[in-house]
Parts: sequence; structure tokens; C-alpha cells
Amino acid sequence: MKSSLILIIFLIVLTSICDTINQLFLKTSINSLNMRVNAIKKIFGFIIKLILIPRVWIGFIFSCLSLFIWLFVLSRADLNFAYSVDSMHYIFIAFASRLILKEKVGLARWMGTILIMTGITLVTLSSGPP
Amino acid sequence: MPGNKLTLRILLLLLSTDFLETFTHLCFKKSTLPESGFQISSPVDIFIFIKAVFSSGFLWLGLSLVMSTFIIWSTILSKIDLSVAIPICSFSYIFVPLVSVIFLNEKINTLRWMGIFLILMGVIFVSVSTRNEENTLK
Repeated sequence: MKSSLILIIFLIVLTSICDTINQLFLKTSINSLNMRVNAIKKIFGFIIKLILIPRVWIGFIFSCLSLFIWLFVLSRADLNFAYSVDSMHYIFIAFASRLILKEKVGLARWMGTILIMTGITLVTLSSGPP
Repeated sequence: MPGNKLTLRILLLLLSTDFLETFTHLCFKKSTLPESGFQISSPVDIFIFIKAVFSSGFLWLGLSLVMSTFIIWSTILSKIDLSVAIPICSFSYIFVPLVSVIFLNEKINTLRWMGIFLILMGVIFVSVSTRNEENTLK
């Protein structure tokens, strides 16, 4: 029972990593387009230009991978539990934003990250047998 | 370089992606409900599992919601930074538990509510920190 819980958590971490990679590819692609979509008419052209970037498709593959693992996780775990553990991707996003997108991560943001991690631990502890 | 200003319009777009994401996850969970307890012991079982899940209408509804979310999310990211957009999506932590209580009859105990609350507090801290940095940059 305990090892299956560890497996589920591991799989959710894996989906979070895949999601983070997907977001990074998407965000760097959008940044490279240097386009601000202000009118609804512009959205179509913007999406066409965006999906012509190969990096977006690599991100999409990671997204699909994440989806398949996620579907497997949801067949075994509560939506609340799965979704709460998935919040780990805030930490991955914070690290990736700092290291790859060169964004500044201040004290308040790290505190927020620690609060999120504590929240995740509580949620995980509460998921034991009733 | 995309701007950092968080307008009401972007906030509404973020809220709509949150709603879409909540219902996407609800659809995916519904599509896997008949397969709960499915044992995967060989690679062939994975294909049987995927085939069973894909035959559910809820999965296809979920996938079309994913497409809509992608278009809205890309539009949002063309306007604001990733570190601004991601924390504001914390609304899901209110929507998802409420939706799973109402529609899936799942139970949430006090400890889990506390965890969800802490996650939400953390997410607010992260959002506020982004705002302060925006202000100092101006």
C-alpha cells in the first residue's frame, strides 16, 4: 500500500516536470514571437505563427506524456489528492524561471514556495486510509 | 519583451483558463472512473487501459477543453510573464476541491483543507512578490 502511494507521488512529480518543460518551451516560443495580442482578430494569426515553431510541438509531446501519466494517476487516486500534489510544479516553475528565464526570485516568493511545500505535505499526510 | 501590467482583462482570461482546467480535470476523472482498480502488469495492459479511457466521451470533451485552454493561455503569455501567470492560477485550488465534493462525492478532511489553505497562502505570497518586483522595476 505504501509503495503504491510512493509510485503515485513519483508519477505526479513526473507530470509536473513534463508540464514545466512544456510551459518553458511555450513561453520561450511566445517571447521569440514578440507579439502582443490585443484584438480578437489577431489571435488566429498569433496561434498559427505559434504552432509553426517546432519547440511548441516538443512542448506538446511533453504535455501528452504528462496527460497519459496523469490519466493513470487519476484512475488510482482522488482528484483532490492528485491535484494538490501536482502543485509541486509551482516550485519547479520558480526554479526554471530563475535559472532559464532569468527571472528574479525574492524572499517573499521563496516563502510562498515553502508554504506551498508545507501545504503539499499536509495534503499528502491526510490521504492515509480512513 | 512582453509587458508586466496585470489588467482586469488578463485576470478574467486567467480565471476562464482556471474554470476550463477545473472542468478538464473533472472530465478526465470521469473518463477513468469505470477503470478504477485497473491492474497494469504488462505493456499490453497500458494499451488496453488507454483504449478503454479513449472510448469515453468525457475524455474527448476534456481534450477539446485542453485546446481552448491552450489558445487562451498562449494569449495570456503573450501579454504577461510566466512567473506572474502561473501563481495567479491558484484559483484552481478553490475550484477543484469544491467541484470534487459536489460532483464526485469525494471527501476532504480538516488536515487536507489546512494543506489546501497553506498552498493558497503560498501562492498569494508568490503573486504579491511578483507585483512588488514589477513596481520596483517601473
